[in-house]
Amino acid sequence: MNTLVAFLTMVIFPGGLFLLFVGMMYEWLDRKLVARFQNRIGPRWFQPIADNVKLLAKEEVLPEGVHPQLFYVLPVIALSGALTAALYVPMFGFEPATSFNGDLIATIYLLSLLTLSMGLAGANTLDRYSLVGATRTLTQLFSYEAPFLLALLGPALIAESWQIGEINDYARDHWFILTQPIGFVVALIGLMGKLELPPFDAPEAETEIVAGAMTEYSGRGLALFHLGKGVELVIGLSLVAAFYLGGLANPIDFVVKTVLLLGFLASVQALMTRLRIDQTVGLWWRYGALLVLTQYLVVIIVEGTIA
Amino acid sequence: MDINKTWQGVLDQVKTWARVNSPWAIHYNSGSCNGCDIEILATLTPRYDAERLGVKLEGSPRHADVLICTGPVTRQSRERLIRIYDQMPEPKFVIAVGACALSGGAFQGCYNIMGGIDEVIPVDVFVPGCPPRPEAIIDGVVKLLGQLQGGVSAEPVTLTEESVPAPQGVKPGLA
Ligand code: SF4
Repeated sequence: MNTLVAFLTMVIFPGGLFLLFVGMMYEWLDRKLVARFQNRIGPRWFQPIADNVKLLAKEEVLPEGVHPQLFYVLPVIALSGALTAALYVPMFGFEPATSFNGDLIATIYLLSLLTLSMGLAGANTLDRYSLVGATRTLTQLFSYEAPFLLALLGPALIAESWQIGEINDYARDHWFILTQPIGFVVALIGLMGKLELPPFDAPEAETEIVAGAMTEYSGRGLALFHLGKGVELVIGLSLVAAFYLGGLANPIDFVVKTVLLLGFLASVQALMTRLRIDQTVGLWWRYGALLVLTQYLVVIIVEGTIA
Repeated sequence: MDINKTWQGVLDQVKTWARVNSPWAIHYNSGSCNGCDIEILATLTPRYDAERLGVKLEGSPRHADVLICTGPVTRQSRERLIRIYDQMPEPKFVIAVGACALSGGAFQGCYNIMGGIDEVIPVDVFVPGCPPRPEAIIDGVVKLLGQLQGGVSAEPVTLTEESVPAPQGVKPGLA
């Protein structure tokens, strides 16, 4: 019985098929919203499904000069990292499937695995567009990761727990967006950097470097990276919603809050143009990190005076 | 045995469905006067919004399913065209856009052209016009998708020295 439950947890809900499906739906919603903002009709609802099935059924070309094992394994690592992270997050408003003290840190590192795999995948090929893309991907990883982590630690400090489930429970009657607005903005923008959405899409700028680190990937590998990004979008949105928007108590809560956040992300994407990679780094380290640290100071001082 | 067959049939249907609904394109100018290219770009603007059919312009040939080609193939671009075609993963399709891509058009008889895309790589759909309107290009894409749906699967083509003879004065050998 226990094995059955564990199996279902991993294959259907919240990891596995369910998450892949939700990821694709959120990707569609994102594309549709951007299209509507640009006065277009936009893709049909099954577009991401068709894209991924097509990619999975396509030939996978092994380019010359790559390390074949790494080439095949990196997309799998990326997707499995993202799927594993889902086990610690209150997906769909239910309790996390498993949790331990400090799973917040583990989740954040599991989420970075996707970006890291993409960077390595780009560096693995001889193609120079991939190499430039890989450099930019990793540079961006180092720039947003610290502010993003700091922004998520803000609520953890107040809730006095490093467990996502407990912070979620605590956040239900403490709307952190009101007490820590800077952290909220930084976390949301950090999520955009993580997913390489415009204006932070310098790593895959198709007008300059073709497709960045993904240039040499075709078929299955590309599909797995795409799926991983969709999954990461859902997990990132639910993390931010759970921490800052009053927690996720039930499925309706989940859908309303994450879709709201997604609408905000889509409007930023439609409004802004691409930042250069050095501008991205400057933005994160000069403003993002400093602002969050200032907020920490304020929070700690206020906490101290109240207590 | 029977179950296997049904299963295979269902899989094939799903594959065809996905292929028809998600044609990612790459655009290559093999020596056109740029008129056709401007029309292709116009096809991708919000006014015509090709994304509602699933069409997405990709930068890398490795991601693309459909090669949209314009212009008579000049001797210099012949090698690049073949290389791009070879870089695309199977299954792949080619749409030739414009009178020049069909037969050489305005450049017919010039010393420096091959005369038409189909002299160099196999073409699935021809879109005539000088330049064709965006509606015509979209119609070409829809025709290609219709062909796919009808089960006419494009045979994988391997380019060899015989199928792509080098023109006079060009050093033999593929890209
Ligand atoms: S068909 Fe007309 S517009 Fe197109 S490349 Fe030829 S001359 Fe130019």
